[in-house]
Amino acid sequence: MSAASALLEAAGVTRRFGGLTAVDGVDLVLRPGSVHGLIGPNGAGKTTFLNLIAGVLPPNAGRFALAGAEITALRDHQRARLGIRRTFQNLKLFPEMTAIENVAIGMHADTRAGIFAALFRTPAQRREEAMIAERAAAALAFVGLSSQARTPAGTLAYGHRRLLEIARAIACAPRVVLLDEPAAGLNETEAAGLVELIARIRDSGTAVILVEHHMDVVMTVCDEVTVLNYGRRLAHGTPAEIQADPQVIEAYLGRDTAEPEAEAAAC
Amino acid sequence: MLTSIFVGGLAIGCVYALIALGFSMIMRATSIIHFAQGEVMMIGSMSGLTAVWLAPFLPAPVVLLVGMTAGGLAAVAMELAAYRTLRRRGVPLMNIITATVGMSILCINGARLIWGSEPLRYPDLFGVEPVLLGGARVPPQLLWIAAAGLLLMAGLQLFLKHTRTGIAMQAVAQDPDAAQLMGVNLTRTMAATFGIAGMMAGAAGVMLGSLFFSFFEMGFITGLKAFVAATLGGLGSIVGAILGGLLFGLIETFSAVYVSSAYKDAVGMLLLILLLLFLPQGLVGLWRRGR
Amino acid sequence: MNASRRDWTIAFAGIGFAALLPFLAPDGFVMHLMTSVAIAAMLALGLQMLLGVSGQLSIGQAAFFGLGAYGAALMTKEAGLPFLLALPLAGVIGGIASLAMVPITRLRGPYLAVATLGFSIMVYLVLKNEEWATGGSYGLIGIPRPELFGFRLRDPMLWYWFCAAVAALTYVGMLLLQTSRFGRALHAVRQNEDAARASGLRVTLLKSQCFVISAVVSGMAGALFAHHLRYLNPNDFTFWKSIEILIMVVIGGVGSLAGAVLGAAVVVVLPELLRVVGDYRMLVFGAMLVAVMLVGEGGLAGIIGGLWRRAAALLRRPRPALRSAAE
Repeated sequence: MSAASALLEAAGVTRRFGGLTAVDGVDLVLRPGSVHGLIGPNGAGKTTFLNLIAGVLPPNAGRFALAGAEITALRDHQRARLGIRRTFQNLKLFPEMTAIENVAIGMHADTRAGIFAALFRTPAQRREEAMIAERAAAALAFVGLSSQARTPAGTLAYGHRRLLEIARAIACAPRVVLLDEPAAGLNETEAAGLVELIARIRDSGTAVILVEHHMDVVMTVCDEVTVLNYGRRLAHGTPAEIQADPQVIEAYLGRDTAEPEAEAAAC
Repeated sequence: MLTSIFVGGLAIGCVYALIALGFSMIMRATSIIHFAQGEVMMIGSMSGLTAVWLAPFLPAPVVLLVGMTAGGLAAVAMELAAYRTLRRRGVPLMNIITATVGMSILCINGARLIWGSEPLRYPDLFGVEPVLLGGARVPPQLLWIAAAGLLLMAGLQLFLKHTRTGIAMQAVAQDPDAAQLMGVNLTRTMAATFGIAGMMAGAAGVMLGSLFFSFFEMGFITGLKAFVAATLGGLGSIVGAILGGLLFGLIETFSAVYVSSAYKDAVGMLLLILLLLFLPQGLVGLWRRGR
Repeated sequence: MNASRRDWTIAFAGIGFAALLPFLAPDGFVMHLMTSVAIAAMLALGLQMLLGVSGQLSIGQAAFFGLGAYGAALMTKEAGLPFLLALPLAGVIGGIASLAMVPITRLRGPYLAVATLGFSIMVYLVLKNEEWATGGSYGLIGIPRPELFGFRLRDPMLWYWFCAAVAALTYVGMLLLQTSRFGRALHAVRQNEDAARASGLRVTLLKSQCFVISAVVSGMAGALFAHHLRYLNPNDFTFWKSIEILIMVVIGGVGSLAGAVLGAAVVVVLPELLRVVGDYRMLVFGAMLVAVMLVGEGGLAGIIGGLWRRAAALLRRPRPALRSAAE
């Protein structure tokens, strides 16, 4: 796979915490217009890797490139401005703001009105606010939350909060969106809706990196899957290839049978 | 000259450290900036003085004990009367901090009504004959204060490490929910935290009073400086508070002599701001980062 | 996205009341007191922006207040600048001083508070000790009466109107800021910094902008204060002043602009009303402060808002009863 065809590329990315190497020389290539699954057992380093891509943590080694441009030295808000957006595993919303205001924050980096424009309500500022309102409403409609636009985020139902985070992340039509376990805590119907939503995000032109435990979701929606284990890349391929990979089955998919033994041994 | 400045700085540093300890203990257990801590110190000072008035024959350690008791009682009273209720109601932190300011206003004006607004002179608790130390003549109360202060702080460390209450206090500071699950009585431990913090401040009050004067507003600026000292050391750290207090006292005393007495407080503040910029965790951040 | 019709109604009702006040109580002392309230309101609004909107705790607002006051006084007294020029320049002075403090906005919670405290103590010491400029502890006397285009504001009523108008403009400005892209971003930073960063917000920049705005407003309040009393003393700019401003904001209700103004009025007027209890005045004030904290967590704005909702619910209650009767 050539780097030219990569939207986002991670090469040899390593991150250590004290003596522990949480992410160890991981490579990943995200192709434009694709959904790339990132799976692995608990503690495999998935969320750490996601934080490295988002720029929350600096890597100890390795580099990141977005559409061929080096972004390794950029911090999280700078990468967000370049079009790498994310959601959080443990939901980080602005609880006192309404749903639509939450989404509007997602468009902050793409808009410009400053302090003076706000004080004097310039025509440009008014046009921009109208545009923000319109596009934020569209993003809410995209995830199916239109009816909740004026509800404070803190009082939304759990499933709705997950959707609101996604709406906030995609409102500015980013190049890449990182979804950190979006199916966690959702029931089967909601998970099916999520699969369909992720497919629509991909079709709208935003590539997706999806960290997820819910295997049905991963195997249905992903175009490619990377498996991490103990911070290393264990396997990479299409969902069908991954499901057939004996190493993966042993390390991850087969853990349901392996784990009780390990626990028994630990006792 | 150098020796007497050093001992003077150490003595005033002990006063700051004892108050800063209370700031840190309370901050660690409740996240509250306890603005009335300086007033607790003032109450200790006034009570010690009152005891000497009533019974002039009292030896210095007893006066210190009276100050500690009064300070401890005052702090526990504040906790039981207001802060505990506020915490139980889950009121925002800013409101509790403002309530501590209210407490401080209450104490200052209460003290003015009781003891008047004139500075009150402490009798000489520790004798007047200067002690010769390395060729320098050092007032004896400075030595006594430094010694008593260091002894108290060492005692507090032992208390925190080796008694049930002390260990419970440490546990509550780290994780109140877990501590409660382990059977620690939260209400009593919080009260104990305020009590110990108040006792330390009360002792500082007697010391500060015997160095200069006692008056109703004495806790205000001293309390602030102690808070700065606690931050200098690293808020929430006991060792940091002691280090910060001693260092702040020394800096202040030395800069009064060598920089300018008018700007002696500014040197400490400038140092604090620079330190916060480069070492946001305070002095204890130094070795935490090193690890 | 403009859910703020209520805020604007409150703002204009308040401004209307402030404008009519001189007719209700045309008394010199009342005018003096109300002018003080207008100045205090600006200080409280400045801190509200910082604490209630961006979530930064400053206990050193008196520093910018003091710098603005002495700056404006020296400009009109020594340099002979017109008052109308000195007023915005005092804001600039406050703003520039706060720029020196911008690096500390990356500090959090109590650390930021201590740093602002340290800064304000340094400013106080400068005001007290640099006698050649500030008059030191003797104070700065002979500050000229404020003048507008050659017209002296000798009448306390006119001077009150002027100060109230500046405070009202500040209020409206902050309301405009709060309901804009900028204000939204500040609210976001307060509520979840990680999520704000992940949305591409430059958190440190936003926080420092807020810090500077708050200092500019405090500096302008200083200019009004200097020309109100026409005498300045360093003791008006100690740590107590900063704490007083904090009390205004918390007693009024953190996050509410109207609350900040209400809090300012309470903190300025209440001690005057409490003169009837003589020596117990500040004792009662302290006790009331603790009591308000115990009663309402949203401050006065929260208490009043709660009463309002209860009254509205009471008025609305018959309706569902009627409907169920109809069914």
